[in-house]
Amino acid sequence: MSAQENAAPLKKPWRLSLDDWAVVVALLAALLVRAGVFKHIPW
Amino acid sequence: MADVVVIPQVQPVQPALRFLRIIPGVLLLAAIGYAGKLLEQNVGAYAKAHHWVFPNIEYVLWAILLGLLISNTIGVPEIFRSGVATYEFWLKAGIVLLGSRFLLGDILKLGGVSLLLVAVEITGAIAFMTFLGRVFHLKPKLITLLAVGSAVCGVSAIIATKGAIDADDEDSSFSIAAILALGAFALFTFPLIGHYLHLGDRAYGIWAGLAVDNTAEATAAGALYSDAAGKLAVLVKSTRNAMIGFVVLAYAIYWASQGQAKAVGNKAAFLWQKFPKFVLGFLLISVLATYQFFNKEQVGALANLSRWAFLLTFAGVGLRTNFRDMRKQGLRPFAVGAIGEVVIAVFTLGLVVGAGKLFGF
Repeated sequence: MSAQENAAPLKKPWRLSLDDWAVVVALLAALLVRAGVFKHIPW
Repeated sequence: MADVVVIPQVQPVQPALRFLRIIPGVLLLAAIGYAGKLLEQNVGAYAKAHHWVFPNIEYVLWAILLGLLISNTIGVPEIFRSGVATYEFWLKAGIVLLGSRFLLGDILKLGGVSLLLVAVEITGAIAFMTFLGRVFHLKPKLITLLAVGSAVCGVSAIIATKGAIDADDEDSSFSIAAILALGAFALFTFPLIGHYLHLGDRAYGIWAGLAVDNTAEATAAGALYSDAAGKLAVLVKSTRNAMIGFVVLAYAIYWASQGQAKAVGNKAAFLWQKFPKFVLGFLLISVLATYQFFNKEQVGALANLSRWAFLLTFAGVGLRTNFRDMRKQGLRPFAVGAIGEVVIAVFTLGLVVGAGKLFGF
C-alpha cells in the first residue's frame, strides 16, 4: 500500500464563511442597537 | 558535511493582515456610496435652483454609475480589489438587518405567495434554459450552469453548482460573465419597463426579485424603483436563494448518475452547506422585531444601518462590472443567457400580473 493511500485525509480547519460572518456582524450590530450603544443611526 | 536542506515554510496570511488588506477597498466603496448620496441631494437641488428639467436620480443609481465609470475607465487598482470584493458581505449583512422592517405575518403572507411564484419560475426557467442551450449546442455542463444561474440566484448558484457537478472553470466563468452582464442590463431596463407599465410597488418588487438573477442587482433594481419595491425584491430574491440547495442537489445527483460528478453522501449535510445562512439571519431579526425586542427608534436605526450596508453594495456592483472583460467571454453563452433572460422576464411579469389579480396586489 502506498504512503499516499495510508495518509489520513487532512481535516480542514473550521472557518466561518462570508455568509456566516455577515450574519454574525449584522446580529452583533442589532444587539448593540438594542443595548443602546448606538442610539441613533443617521441616514 | 551533508548539505542542509531548508524547506521553505508557507506562512498563512495573518487575519490582521487580511483585515488591513480590505480597508482601502472598503473605504473606496464608502466614498463612492457617500458621493452617490451627496449627488442625489445636491444635483436635484442645483437643477431646481437653476430651473433645469432634470430627473430625480437616486443615490442607488449615482453609486452604481460612479462605480461603473471608475471600473470602465481607469479600472480598479490592485490595492482596492480585496476590499471591493466585500460588497457581497455588505449585501448579506444589509439583508439580515432589513429583516427588522418585516413583521413575521407579512413574511408568511408574502413569502407564501412568493414561494409559489418562485417554484413556478425556477421550474420554467430551468426547462427553458435547458431547451435553449441544446438548440445552441452548448456543452451540457455549461447549460446546467446557465440554467441554475438564471433560475435561482446568479453567481452564488453557479459557484455552488460548479463544485457539485465538477464543471470546468471556463464554463463557470462564461456563465458568471453572462449572468453579470445581463444583471447590469436588467438594472437599467427593469425600472424603465416598470414605470412604462405603471406597475405598483408590490408587483414591481416581486417581479424584480423573481426575474433579476444576482442578489445585488435584484436589490438595486428594486431600490431604484422605490423603497417599498426594494424591500419586496429582497424578500422574493431571498426566497429564491433559499431554494439553491435543492436545485444544486438535484443537479449533483443527476451528474453523479451520469458518472460525471462525485456522488452526494449525506444529503441533509449537503443542503445545510449550500443553504444561504443570511436568509436565517433575516428571519431571526424579523421574529425579534415582530415580538418587539426592538422599540420603534431601534427599528429605525437598524433600517438605516441596512441602508448604509446597501450603499456599499451598490458602489461594489458598479466597480466590479467591467464591460471589456465581459465582451472577452464570447457571444454564444451570452446570446443564450440574453434570450433566456428576456423570456424569463416576460414569463415572470405574466406570473406577477396574474398573481396580483388572484391575491390582490
